[in-house]
Amino acid sequence: MTRKTRRLWLVLICIACFGTAIGLILRAFSSDIVFFVTPSQIVASPPPDHRLVKLGGMVVAGSVHYSKHKETPVVTFDVTDGRTAVTVTYQGILPDLFREGQSVIVIGTVTSKHRFTASEVLAKHDETYMPKEVADALRKSGKWDPRFGPPPPDIWHSNQN
Amino acid sequence: MTHPVFIIASYGITFIIVTVLSVEAALRLRRARTQLTVLEKNTSHSSNL
Amino acid sequence: MPDSIPPRSCTSHTMITRTRHFFHYYANPGRFYHISTRIQPYVTYSALFFTFIGLGWGLFFSPPDWQQGDTVRIMYIHVPTAILASAGYAALALCGLSTLVWQHPLANLAAMEIAPVGACATALCLITGSLRGKPMWGTYWVWDARLTSVLILFFLYLGHISLIRAFEDKQRGYQAAAILALAGVIDLPIIKFSVDWWNTLHQPDSITLTRAPTISRSMLWPLILSMLGFSLGFCALVFARLRAAILEVRIRALLFPSHRRSNIV
Repeated sequence: MTRKTRRLWLVLICIACFGTAIGLILRAFSSDIVFFVTPSQIVASPPPDHRLVKLGGMVVAGSVHYSKHKETPVVTFDVTDGRTAVTVTYQGILPDLFREGQSVIVIGTVTSKHRFTASEVLAKHDETYMPKEVADALRKSGKWDPRFGPPPPDIWHSNQN
Repeated sequence: MTHPVFIIASYGITFIIVTVLSVEAALRLRRARTQLTVLEKNTSHSSNL
Repeated sequence: MPDSIPPRSCTSHTMITRTRHFFHYYANPGRFYHISTRIQPYVTYSALFFTFIGLGWGLFFSPPDWQQGDTVRIMYIHVPTAILASAGYAALALCGLSTLVWQHPLANLAAMEIAPVGACATALCLITGSLRGKPMWGTYWVWDARLTSVLILFFLYLGHISLIRAFEDKQRGYQAAAILALAGVIDLPIIKFSVDWWNTLHQPDSITLTRAPTISRSMLWPLILSMLGFSLGFCALVFARLRAAILEVRIRALLFPSHRRSNIV
């Protein structure tokens, strides 16, 4: 083994050790790195009162109700992860992407077992990109309704344009 | 649902940063080239670059 | 390898020698200068060509997205700069490996010149992402895993830029920066897989190696063209800076012939 080969192995071993260490740290803190918790996690183990939590899920179709409380718009909607739903109340302006079937992240506090008061609503958009006409055509043909969640993965094989 | 300000700002800042990088690289190259020509004219031994 | 031990496999041995010769041949700064000077105009003009076509197509002719509307056009800058931010750092790490193991003078100069361009790409990625986040998500910034790991990449670039210039003895600067570049490589897989490992506000990647892209073709083509244009532009900038750096080494050698070599190269 020449000096250069030995140096190469030394450097590679150092990177491998360092990588393993970082990997183990990330694994240990994995539950803190997640950006949001799901409705079933909140219902199963409710966080302590007044603690700010980020709740993520899909807005249930037909659950959005608008009302007004002293000039500010108030909206209530259900957020689900497919197993449980939590009713969210929010006062303020919603982001553009907010609609039924959209993934959202609401930041706020849990008030009772299935109730949540949000101080901030963030809309998540998924990784599918398509022109409006394609989305409309898919909806008309009955292959996919955006009110019930993101498009199924197999539409990309049948509907490429 | 159009947000022209955000789109224009994105393209604008990209154009500015790319232009600054390109002009800086071009000027640096030109300065180095002229300086090297002057130096090589003054020194007796020829460069082997 | 000592003469007494015959090479295990003759073909692999000659192949390694040949590759080594190949790298030694083209990694010579003077030779690199001549070759890069010859190919520079081709890289520069094709970069301009593809960037204009890609961005023009994306800005004026591609359709608005069904959920993001016209704001999707920011993607044609955001995605190429994001890829270059990671690819530039990978190049920086390869230079670092070359500095530590083979002590190539060209690798030292390349590390010095790639880092500022990569830092600019990362900054552009963060800025355009934030400008897209405000109208789409409803916020300029969140501390989710993807956004935070890219911000860490930006600081790694800044650390590299200052560390490589921090020493009187240039060789020590190159070595310290090389160690930082190699340690920071851990951030690249974290950036790539952050959207799969943890739940994030940022959506998962649309273009992957394992499944069909989830982008309609009318948006995929301008994106591919701008990725090509930006990548060629990155190469063109690095080539120009590297050529200037090679000339500057030569100038220092002529101006200060009595200095120690480690203060010049």
